[in-house]
Amino acid sequence: MSLLLCLLMTGCSERQELTEGNAVYFWRTDLKLDSIEQSFLQRYHINKVYCRYFDVVIDEEGTDPKPNATIAFSSTLPDSIELIPTVYITENCMHQKHPGLAEKIVKRIRQMNETNDIKHVNEIQIDCDYTSKSRKNYYQFLEEVKEAWGQTLSTTIRLHQLSMEPPPVDYGVLMIYNTGDPRKWEERNPILDIRDVQPYLKQLDSYSLPLAAAYPVYQWVRTIRNIRIEHTVEAKEILRVKEAVEKKRSNLKNVIITYHLDKDNINRYKPETYEEIYHH
Amino acid sequence: MTLPTLACIWGELTNPYLFSMYRKTEFRERVEKICNDNWQTYLGTSEEYFWFNADDVIKAAQHKSDGLMVSYVKNLQKYLKCVDVEQSKQYEWNYPSKEEIATQQRDLQAIRTYALGNTKTKLRSQHALLYMRCNMMLGRHQENINYWEQTASQFIETVYKDMMQNIYAGALYKTGQDEKAGELFAEMGDYQSLMTQFYRKRSFQAIRQHYQKNPNSKVLPFLLQDFVNNCQEVIDANGGDWFDGKLFVRRINEQEATQMRQFCETVVREGKTETPIMWKSAKAWLEYLYGHQKQAATDILEASKLDGTDRMKDCARVLMLFITAKQAPDSEAFDDYLADELSWLKEMEQKEEDGYFYRAKTRISHQALMKHYQNNTDKLIAMMDVTNNYHYGEYIDTMRVGQLEKYFAYTNTPAKSNLDKYLKANLKKDEKAMTDLIGTKYLRLCQWDKAIKWLEYVPASFYNEAGYRMYVLLRKVSVEPWITRQWIKDADVDRAETYNWTVSENPKLLFAKEMQMMEGTMNVLSGKALCQRCYNLATYYAQANFTGDCWWLMRNGKSVSDTLRVNEVDLRAKTKELLQKASQTTDLALKEKALFALSYGELYNENQRWFTREWNNETYEYDRKTSSNSQQYRAFAALANFEKQNTTHTSQYVSRCDEYIQFRKQFH
Repeated sequence: MSLLLCLLMTGCSERQELTEGNAVYFWRTDLKLDSIEQSFLQRYHINKVYCRYFDVVIDEEGTDPKPNATIAFSSTLPDSIELIPTVYITENCMHQKHPGLAEKIVKRIRQMNETNDIKHVNEIQIDCDYTSKSRKNYYQFLEEVKEAWGQTLSTTIRLHQLSMEPPPVDYGVLMIYNTGDPRKWEERNPILDIRDVQPYLKQLDSYSLPLAAAYPVYQWVRTIRNIRIEHTVEAKEILRVKEAVEKKRSNLKNVIITYHLDKDNINRYKPETYEEIYHH
Repeated sequence: MTLPTLACIWGELTNPYLFSMYRKTEFRERVEKICNDNWQTYLGTSEEYFWFNADDVIKAAQHKSDGLMVSYVKNLQKYLKCVDVEQSKQYEWNYPSKEEIATQQRDLQAIRTYALGNTKTKLRSQHALLYMRCNMMLGRHQENINYWEQTASQFIETVYKDMMQNIYAGALYKTGQDEKAGELFAEMGDYQSLMTQFYRKRSFQAIRQHYQKNPNSKVLPFLLQDFVNNCQEVIDANGGDWFDGKLFVRRINEQEATQMRQFCETVVREGKTETPIMWKSAKAWLEYLYGHQKQAATDILEASKLDGTDRMKDCARVLMLFITAKQAPDSEAFDDYLADELSWLKEMEQKEEDGYFYRAKTRISHQALMKHYQNNTDKLIAMMDVTNNYHYGEYIDTMRVGQLEKYFAYTNTPAKSNLDKYLKANLKKDEKAMTDLIGTKYLRLCQWDKAIKWLEYVPASFYNEAGYRMYVLLRKVSVEPWITRQWIKDADVDRAETYNWTVSENPKLLFAKEMQMMEGTMNVLSGKALCQRCYNLATYYAQANFTGDCWWLMRNGKSVSDTLRVNEVDLRAKTKELLQKASQTTDLALKEKALFALSYGELYNENQRWFTREWNNETYEYDRKTSSNSQQYRAFAALANFEKQNTTHTSQYVSRCDEYIQFRKQFH
C-alpha cells in the first residue's frame, strides 16, 4: 500500500492519520495542462492529482449504471506527481445493488491506465453524494471496490455525511464546499460560508476515518432573473473555514486539496492565498 | 459531423417557446428511419425495422446470391465495430486496449480501400458513403471534400447521398469553410451541427451580416428563432416564470432586441426575403415581449397575410392567439374564437410530432388564459385541466371548498356554449380524486360531517395508489407526537412491502368519524374525563397538522417550507387551546403531559420559539438568545414551575428532554 499512514493519538481514540502533502482535483474532460497550470503544480509542491476519469450514471432505461463523460489524455502529468483516478458516481446508482459494478469500474480504470500509458497508479477514489437511503449499498460497493482494486481506496465525504458511520475505505476527503442552499444565494454564498460549516464542526474530531481536506477555489456562474451571478468564495472565507476546521481537528492540515485545477481558478486568488491554503 | 460534447447533450425543451420556424425533426432521426425502411424492403419483411443487424442482412443477401451486398455489409459491420471502439472510450465498460485502437486504425484503412474500389458497382452510393465515413474517422477531411465535389455530388438522390453530404458539410466546417457548411446543415435540418457551428455567432450583428450576404440564407430561420427564443428566456427570467429552456441560452439585452425589431421591419420593407412572415412575426413577438402589446397585435395581423412556409404560418397563428387572448375583453365572440383555436391546436398537436403545439398551448394557458378567465372560476379550472396547466393541482388544492363543489357540479352538467362543449369534451375527469379532495378540504376546515359525506364515496383502494400510502400504513394518529415521533425505519418499509400491506379502510373517513364522535360527546363529559378528552383531541389535531406525523390526512405531500394555508383551520392553535384546557386537570400525570405537550417545538413558528439563534463571528458558533416573552418560553416556564412543585413526580419524558434541560439551565 503506497499511502503513507502514520499512527497518531488524537483525542481519546487511536486513529491513523495521513502524512503531509498538497493535492488538486482535476475535473475536466481532457487531461491537458497549460503552462500556468504546470507551474502551479510545481510552485505549490503538488504531489497528487485526483483526476476524474469518468462518471457513472444510470442508463437511459433507468436500470443499469454506465460510464459517461470519460476523460481523454492529450498530455500527461510530470513523473513526480501521483495520479489518482477518481470516479464520480451519481447517488441514484446506489439506490439498489448492482452486482459486478465494482469490478467493472476497477477493470476500466486499469484498462484506461494501460491504454494511455499511465503508470504507477496506487490509489483510486470514488466520489458519491450518498445519503441515508443509499449508504448501505454504497458501503457494500466500496468493500467490493477495495477487494477488486487491492490497493489504496479513498472516498469523498460531504459534511452532511459526517453524521453517518464512516465508509470502509483507507481515508476520506472532506469536501468543504457546496455548503449552502443555492436558492438562498442572497443570504449566503452557496459554495462556502462558515455559518453553514459550523453545525458540522462538532462531529469532526470524533469521526474515526483519516481525513484530507478539500477547499473550493472555483467560481460558479449562473443567471438569476436576468442578472449574471458569480459565486466566488473570498480568500478570507476559505482561510477562516480552514482555521475553524483545523481548530476542531488539527490533522486536517496534513493533506490539503483544492478543487479544482484550472487556469482561471489559479488566477482568481493571489499566490499568498494559495500559500496559506496549502499551509500545514 | 462529429459534434462536441455540449451539442450531444442537447435536451428536450422545458420552456415552451412560441416562436418556432421549423419542425424539429432532426436530420439524424430522419435518415435513420429511411435507412431502416430500406433494410426492411431488402429483407422483404412486413415488420418495422428498428435496428440494423448485419447478420440478418448477410443471411438474406446470401440467400439472394447477392455477393456484392454480402461484402458491403461485412465491411459495414467492420466499420461499425471501429465506431464502437470510439464509443467505448466514452460510454462502455470495455475501454479499448492499445491493440484494439491499432486494429481499429488498420481496419479503417482497409475498409476505406475496399469501399473506394467498389464505388463503380451497383451499390456505389453505399460504398461511397462507407469510403467517406472512413475518411471522417481517419481525419481525412480534405479528401472527403474533393470526393464529394468531384464525384459523389453527381450521384442519384438517395439517403446515402444525404448522409455523404452531411459528412461533406462536416468536413467543410472542420477545414474552416463555415459559411458553406452552415447553409448545408440548415438545408438538411441538422440543427445540432448548426448550434455547434453558430454557438458563438448568434448576435443581432451576426444575423444582420448573414442576411446582408444572403437574404434568403437557410441558416437565417435557425438564427432568428434562436435569437427570439433567447429574448423570451430573458423576459421569462424577469417576470419570474421559471421555465428554464435551452441549454445554450444567450442573454440578450433590450438594446439588442430593439435593434432586431427595427431590423425585422427593414427586412420586410426591402422585399428581398422570400419569407417576410418570419421577420414580421419575429417583430410582433419581440414587440409583445418588450411590452408593446398594441404594436404586437398590429404586427401579427399583418404578418398573417405575408408569405412563408406552412410552419411559419402556423406559428403566426399561434402568436395571434396568444396576443389576442392577452388583450381581448371577456366576450362570447372571444370564447368562440378560443374554442376554434383550441380545437385547431389539438389537431396540430396530434399531427406534428415535434411538440411545438403542445408547448405553445402550455404557454398560452399559463400566461394568457389564466388571467383572461380569472373571474370565471369554472371555466378557469376546466381550462387549466384541458391545457395541462402546471398550476392546476395546486390551484384546486388551495381553492375554497364551495367553489370546488360548484366546479364539480359544472363538470357534470350539459354544455351550453362552444367553449363549454370543447372544455367538457376534453376534461381529464378523475371523480375519486375530486371527491377525496373535497372531503379533505372539509377535514381542513374541521367540518367532520361534511367531510364524511364526501369521503364515504372514496374507496380504501384509492389510498393504496397514493404517494403517501406508506405513511398511512405505518403511522397512527393517536400517538402523542411530543413523546414519540413516528420516524419510518427501513425495516418497517421492507416489512410492509414484503407482506404486501394494503390500506383496508379509508383512513380519512375513519379520522373524520373519530373526530366527530370525540367532539360530539364532549358535552356529556366533565372534570378529569373532559380534560382527558381535550388531551386526546389535541393529540389528533397535532398529528393531523402539517407539522404532525399524519400530515397526509390534510395534505398530499410534506416539505420543510410548509406553512398554514388559506382555507384551512389553524390546527396548531386548536391543539394548544385544547392542551390549555387539559392542563387544568387535577390529575397530575395528565397535567404534566399537557404542560409538556404545550412546550412542544412543532406547535410554534420560528418567531414564537423560546430562543433565537445569532451567529457569533468570534467563536464560529450560534449563540442562543432567550426570548422570555415568546409563547414557547411561557409554556416551558409553566412546565418548569410545575416540576419545581412536584419534584418527586417528574416523568422521564420530561427529565430526559434535551430541550427542557437546555431551558432549565437558564430558568430560575
